[in-house]
Amino acid sequence: MTVNNRSQRMFHWTILALLTLGAVIAMAPMLYMVATAFKPAAYVPEFPPKFIPDNPTLENFRTAFNSRNFDTALFNSAKVAVSTALLVTTLSSMMAYAFARFEFPGKTLLFYTILAMMMVPTMMLIIPQFILASKLELINSHTGLVLVYTAGGLAFNMFLLRGFFESLPYELEEAALIDGANQFVIFWRIMLPLARPALSTVGVFSFLGAWDEYIWALTVLTDPAKRTLPIAIQNFRGTRATDWGLVFAASLTAVVPTVLLFVFFQRYFVQGITTGAVKK
Amino acid sequence: MKAKLLVLVLIAALALPAFAHAQDDVVTVEFWHTYNEVSPENEMLVNTLIPMFEAEHPNIKVESVPFPYGEFRQTILTALAGGEGPDLARLDIIWSPEFASLGVLLPLEDVMPDYADYADAVFAGPLSTNVYEGQHYGLPLDTNTRVFMYNSTVYEQAGIAEPPATIDDLVAQCDAVTALGEDYYIFSDGGTYGWAVLPWIWSFGGSLTDGAMTTSTGYVNGEETVAAYEFLKDMIDSGCFSPSFLGGGMDSGTGYFTNLFASIMDGPWMFPIAEAQYPDFTIQTALLPAGVGGSISVVGGENIALFVDSETEAALEFLRFTQSDEYQLKMSEVGQLTVKPALLESDYFQNHSYYGTFLQQLKTARARLPHPAWSQIEEVLTDAGQLILRGEASAQEALDMAAEEIDGLLAEYE
Amino acid sequence: MRAKLHYRWYTPYLFLLPGLALYVLWMIYPLGYEFYISFFDWKIMPGQTSEFIGWANYQRVLDDKNFWLALENTVRYTAVTVIGQMVIGLGLAVMVHRVFIAKRLFRGIYYLPVVTSWVVVSFLFQFIFSAHRGGLVNYTLIDVLHMLDEPVNWIGETNTAWIIIYSLGIWKGMGWTMVIFLAALQGIPPELYESAAIDGAGEIGQFRFITLPMIRRTTLFILVALVIGGFQVFISVYLITGGGPLHRTEVVLSYMYDRSFDRLWFGYGAAISYILAAIVVLVSFGQLRLFGQSDDADY
Repeated sequence: MTVNNRSQRMFHWTILALLTLGAVIAMAPMLYMVATAFKPAAYVPEFPPKFIPDNPTLENFRTAFNSRNFDTALFNSAKVAVSTALLVTTLSSMMAYAFARFEFPGKTLLFYTILAMMMVPTMMLIIPQFILASKLELINSHTGLVLVYTAGGLAFNMFLLRGFFESLPYELEEAALIDGANQFVIFWRIMLPLARPALSTVGVFSFLGAWDEYIWALTVLTDPAKRTLPIAIQNFRGTRATDWGLVFAASLTAVVPTVLLFVFFQRYFVQGITTGAVKK
Repeated sequence: MKAKLLVLVLIAALALPAFAHAQDDVVTVEFWHTYNEVSPENEMLVNTLIPMFEAEHPNIKVESVPFPYGEFRQTILTALAGGEGPDLARLDIIWSPEFASLGVLLPLEDVMPDYADYADAVFAGPLSTNVYEGQHYGLPLDTNTRVFMYNSTVYEQAGIAEPPATIDDLVAQCDAVTALGEDYYIFSDGGTYGWAVLPWIWSFGGSLTDGAMTTSTGYVNGEETVAAYEFLKDMIDSGCFSPSFLGGGMDSGTGYFTNLFASIMDGPWMFPIAEAQYPDFTIQTALLPAGVGGSISVVGGENIALFVDSETEAALEFLRFTQSDEYQLKMSEVGQLTVKPALLESDYFQNHSYYGTFLQQLKTARARLPHPAWSQIEEVLTDAGQLILRGEASAQEALDMAAEEIDGLLAEYE
Repeated sequence: MRAKLHYRWYTPYLFLLPGLALYVLWMIYPLGYEFYISFFDWKIMPGQTSEFIGWANYQRVLDDKNFWLALENTVRYTAVTVIGQMVIGLGLAVMVHRVFIAKRLFRGIYYLPVVTSWVVVSFLFQFIFSAHRGGLVNYTLIDVLHMLDEPVNWIGETNTAWIIIYSLGIWKGMGWTMVIFLAALQGIPPELYESAAIDGAGEIGQFRFITLPMIRRTTLFILVALVIGGFQVFISVYLITGGGPLHRTEVVLSYMYDRSFDRLWFGYGAAISYILAAIVVLVSFGQLRLFGQSDDADY
C-alpha cells in the first residue's frame, strides 16, 4: 500500500506515535526494575525516581548469588524446567499423534474429557495433588514438580500438536508403511522431524511454565536447598524492610533467560499462541 | 560369563548401601528455625554452637535449616503433613498449643526422664506457653518483649528532652514532632495484630478474655479495651501516629532508623539489625509509656519442641544442649534473651548495655493467649482493629462483633 | 478422502499410555479425589482421622461472607481485566497491523510482560505503586502530571489496592490478546478492504463492517480463554495484598489456599474449589452458547 496523500501520511505517523507512547508506558516498569537492580541499598524508592542509577553497582547481583541458596535455585529451576520440557514434548506428541492418526474405541470420550478438563482451574487441584504427593513421598522432591508440571501441560500441548499432525499429508506414512516400517518408526523417523517447529513451540512453552511456576513449588518444597527461582526471589523480600535492589537483581537473573528465549523463538511463540485461536 | 558378571554387579549394588550404613552410624538431626538467615544469631548457631555440640556428640550431626518467619508456620505444617517434617524446631510461643493440638509434638514428660530438672531451671511464664491439655510439649528457648525505642535525632529536632513516662506525656509531645514535616510521626507500628495492639490494650487496663480463656465478652469489648482502640484511632486521625497501622506505607523500623519516626515499640533483635544496616545509629530505649493499667508489654519468644517420628534420643540431646548456660549466654550476645533466671544474676546481664530495659519491662509483660485457636482469634482481632482505625465501625461495635466470634472459637475447644 | 493407515488395535493405546497414565494420575484422579475430600472434615496430619460430614463443608462455604466477597472480587477482576485486555489488545493489534515500520519490535515489546514471571511482576508492581513519593506511580501522578497533591498509600486502601491488581492483570495480558488479534487481522483478505474503500467506507466503517465480523471467532476464543484465566487470578493478589486489608482483596483461589494450607481446613478448601470449578465451567459453556451459536465452535 502506498502512502498517497497528506491525510494518510498523517494517519500513519499518528499510529506510530501512539504505539511508541504505548510502548514507553508498557516498558517503563521493566526498565525501572533493571535500573533498581543496579542501585545500592534500595530499601525505599529514591526521590525523584531515576531510570539511570547515579552509581550503578553489581553489588546486588553479588549479594544475591552469595546468599540463600540462590545459585542452587537457579540450577534447580533449570533442571526442573528442562526435564519438564523434554517430558511434555515427548508425551504430548505421542498422544497428539494417536489422536491425529488413529481411530480407536473411546477416542471421542477421551478427547472431550481432556478438552473439558482444560476449563478447570489448575490450581483447584492443589489439595488432592498435595495429598497424593505426600502419599507417594514426592513432597520435597523435584520429581514431584516435574510430574505435576508435565501432567498440567499435556492437554494444551497435545491439542496444539494434534492440529499440526493433522495438517500433514498422509503420503509419507503410506510410503513408509509399504516399505515395512511400523507406526513407531514412522512416528519417530518421519513425523517428529517434520513437526520440529511445533515441537520447539511446545518445548519453549513448557520450559517457561516450569521455570516460572510458583504455587506448587511453594507448597511442596520445604527444603531450602531444593527451592526453585520464584521461591528464592520471594525470599529476598524481607520480613521487615525489603532491599528492592536485591529482589530485582534476583528477578532480573530469572527473567533474562526467558526474554532471550522469547527473542530467539518469537516466531514459534506467535505460532503457538495463535494456533487454534485463528482459523486459517 | 556375562550372566555371572551381572549377578556380581547386582550383589555389589545391593550390598554397598549396607556397608555404607555400617560405617556411618552418625544420626542426623534436622533443626528448623527462624533465626534470621543473614544475621549474627544464625552465625552464632551455625559457626559456634552447633560445632560445639557436635564436638561433644560425635555421633550426632545437627542440620540447621533457616526459614523466614512469615512462611515458617505454613511450611512446617505442610512438611509435617507430607511426612517431611524436622526432628526439632524453634517455634514461636504462640504456635506451641496449636501444634500440640494437631498431635505432631511429643509430650516431653513422656520421653524425657530428666524433664523436671530442665523445667525448673526456666522462667515459669515462658514455660507455660508449652502446655496443652496438662502436658508440656517443649521447653522455652528464648524470651523477649517490646520496649519503647526513641530516636534521639528526632527528639533533638523537636526539642523533646525525655522519653514519655505516661501515655499522656506521649500525646503532649506529638505536636513538636509532627511540626517537623509531613512524613514525621511520634510513633509507628505495622498493623493491628496482637503483637502491636496488646501492649496498648493492657496498658489501658483492658484484656482479651477471662483468665481461664472461656469467654471474651466483657473483656475484648470491655470499657478499657474500647478506650485503647479509640485512643489509637484518635492518634492516627490527628496525624500523631503513622498510618502504617493500616498496612502498607513505610516500615516502622525503616522510618525509625531514617529519622522520621520519633519512636517505635520493638524487641532486642533491633540492636544487631542497627549494627549491620545503620552502624551510625544508636537505639535509645525506655519502658513503655504507662496508662491506667500500667506499663504492660507483650511477651514474645520461642520454644524448642520435638516432633513425633523424630530421631528422639539424638534430638533430645540437642534440646538439652539448648538449655545449657553456654547456649543461652552465647545466644544472649546476639539479641536472644535467656530464659534462665539464674543467668540474669551474672555480671554479663547486670552490666549489659541494653538488656536492662527489657528485663525490667518483662517483669510486667504478659503473654498472648496460649490457646490452640490463637491464630484465628488474632485474625478476628486484626480485622476488628482495621475496621475501627479506618472509621468503618465504632470501637464498641467492632469489638462487640469480635467478642461474639472469639467466644465461638473458644467454645470449639471447650 | 482420507487414506486408511493399517495398524494393530493396540497401537494407539501404546502411543497414549505414558502420557495418559500421568494425566489420569495427576489430573483426573485428583479431580475425583477432591470431590471425596470435600465431604470430610479432612485431617491432614498423619495419625488423625477424618470425619465424614456430608454436605456440611458446602453449607459452610455458602454461609461464609468472606467467600462471597472473594467470589464477587473474582468476578469483578475478571470483568475489568478481560474488557481491559480485549479493548487495549485489539487497539494495539489494529495499530501494529497498520504501522509501516518496526512491526515486530512493537509486537515484541508489548508481548514481553506476558513471558515475565508472575512473581517478578507482582513484586515489581508492588514497588512502583509504593506509598512513598518516590514510588514511580506516585511520582508520575504528583510531579509529572500534577494530578495529585500527595502520595497515595496504594496498598493500604481496598480501592487503590485493586487498581494495582487490575492494572497488573491488564498490563501483563494485553500482549497476548494483541498477538492473537494481530494474527486474525493478518488473515483478513485485503481485497475486502479495497472493495469497501471503493464503495466509500471510511476507516471506522471498514472496522465495523469488515474487521469485527471477520475476527468474530477469534474474539470468542479470546473471551473464553481470558475469562477462565481471570477466575484463576491468584499470585498477584497473594503476593501484593495477601487478601488484605480485611480480606477485602481476597479472591476465590487465595481464600481457598489460605483456608487449606494456613488453617488446614482441607475439606473446606476442596468445597471452595469445587464451587469455583462449577462456576467456571458453567460460565464457559454459557459464553459459547451465547456468542457462538452460528459457529461450529469445536473447542
